[in-house]
Amino acid sequence: MKLADKVALITGGNSGIGSATAALLAKEGAAVVLTGRNTERGEQVAQSINNDGGQAMFIQSDVRVAEECRAAVEETLDRFGRIDLLFNNAGVLHPRTVPECTEEEWDETIDSSLKGAFLMSKYALPSMIERGSGSIIHTSSGWGILGGGRAAAYCAAKGALIIMAKAMAIDHGPHGIRVNCVCPGDVQTPMMPDEAAKRGVSWEEYLAGASERPLGRVGTADEIANAVLFLASDDSSFVTGESLVVDGGGIAG
Amino acid sequence: MRGLKGKNVLVTGGGSGIGQATAARFLGEGAAVCVLDRSAEARQRVTEELPGLAGVIDADVSKLEQVHAAFNEAIERMGSVDVLINNAGISIRHNFLDITPEEWDQVMGVNLKGIFLVAQTAARHMMERGSGVILNTASTGGSVGYPHYADYNASKGGVIALTQSMALELAPTIRVAGISPGYVLTPMQRAEYSDAMLDAVNRKIPLGRHAKPEEIAGLFAFLASEDAAFTTGHIYVVDGAETTGGFCSQWSHE
Repeated sequence: MKLADKVALITGGNSGIGSATAALLAKEGAAVVLTGRNTERGEQVAQSINNDGGQAMFIQSDVRVAEECRAAVEETLDRFGRIDLLFNNAGVLHPRTVPECTEEEWDETIDSSLKGAFLMSKYALPSMIERGSGSIIHTSSGWGILGGGRAAAYCAAKGALIIMAKAMAIDHGPHGIRVNCVCPGDVQTPMMPDEAAKRGVSWEEYLAGASERPLGRVGTADEIANAVLFLASDDSSFVTGESLVVDGGGIAG
Repeated sequence: MRGLKGKNVLVTGGGSGIGQATAARFLGEGAAVCVLDRSAEARQRVTEELPGLAGVIDADVSKLEQVHAAFNEAIERMGSVDVLINNAGISIRHNFLDITPEEWDQVMGVNLKGIFLVAQTAARHMMERGSGVILNTASTGGSVGYPHYADYNASKGGVIALTQSMALELAPTIRVAGISPGYVLTPMQRAEYSDAMLDAVNRKIPLGRHAKPEEIAGLFAFLASEDAAFTTGHIYVVDGAETTGGFCSQWSHE
């Protein structure tokens, strides 16, 4: 068990990559706190982990709101005494070019992905600095490194997370804290069919497009969770400031 | 790590440093491991220090016939090669203006041509078998500049490009990735650098220290495993955030 006695705080933990990661980290011995906006789904995920013998709780929290971030971190510390891993995974994608993108969609994208990662890190870091250890992971994307079509706000947020992780790694390396990004390619989560629909593409067409990529398929949420586990564990003890791309070769060429 | 038990692993440059630590890690994961090294001293020492190795083979990776012979011996000993840790490399510390054509050829021969020869040999075998993983040791020097190592860095930049192109052609049968270590405290590094030099380097690294060879091995183990089944065609940096800034950020974490 790679994370025995560790405490993980996961935003966007209701579904997709967040819930798969919560389940995996719990299996590896971590106590898991997941946050999200949808209480029903969040409670279901936590319950399912507890039923499987793990330890999980859900806190309803919108990462765009500073007070809700502060409260989620404080409740985690009150209940478990520490945060070893912060997984800033919450984020949304509106498939829009710049002219198509409304100001509300821009704000929601930047605030949920980027500002949320900033706010959660801001409140979690003091306790990590005091303990002299911790690992922070932001969910970026292959589209934080290369451009994607009709996703300008998303690419902006995901790219910003990569460079923010580097800046945070410089600041907090001396505190014994590692900060990295995980950069998924296309992964089968509820967000993907949703995005396909918004682009006016059927899920079958979307999957057919993925077959042209080097590994010929989309990834699974578990495959991203495995990368997060690596970044949370001691096997990555010298990896910091890095963006772990897990994309089936999508950005290799 | 999932999926490493019972795998057959070949580690070039496995007689010391990162290669040896990686060989040890895979042995610990339940894999069969052969190492390749052209140094007799390294081969003798690793035979004593890692008695579980399936083979310790003499080969100069810059020579095609030696690569083929060594690969065949590894197959005889293990039955197959599932994972190639393509790690053999040399460095010579010299100023750019002093590099001789012979030194250039020597560094390129091992670090770039050698990576190519071993990778191609392994890839042909893995394509026949229908699966495999090739992990190439690159370096932070392949992406950012360092003085005194222009030829080494050029070779590592080449390894990075080669890795990405190989990944495209060999997918989906073979996964190919690169690992770029920063400063690693190997016996070779300890011998080359005085304490004062090591301290000066450590001050530039946000984690404040060199890597232990085992830390590089941990990344190799992850990338070779089933946990990394959706990764190919990318280079993964393990450098304690050394290259996340640059000269312009070095004052900020003194």
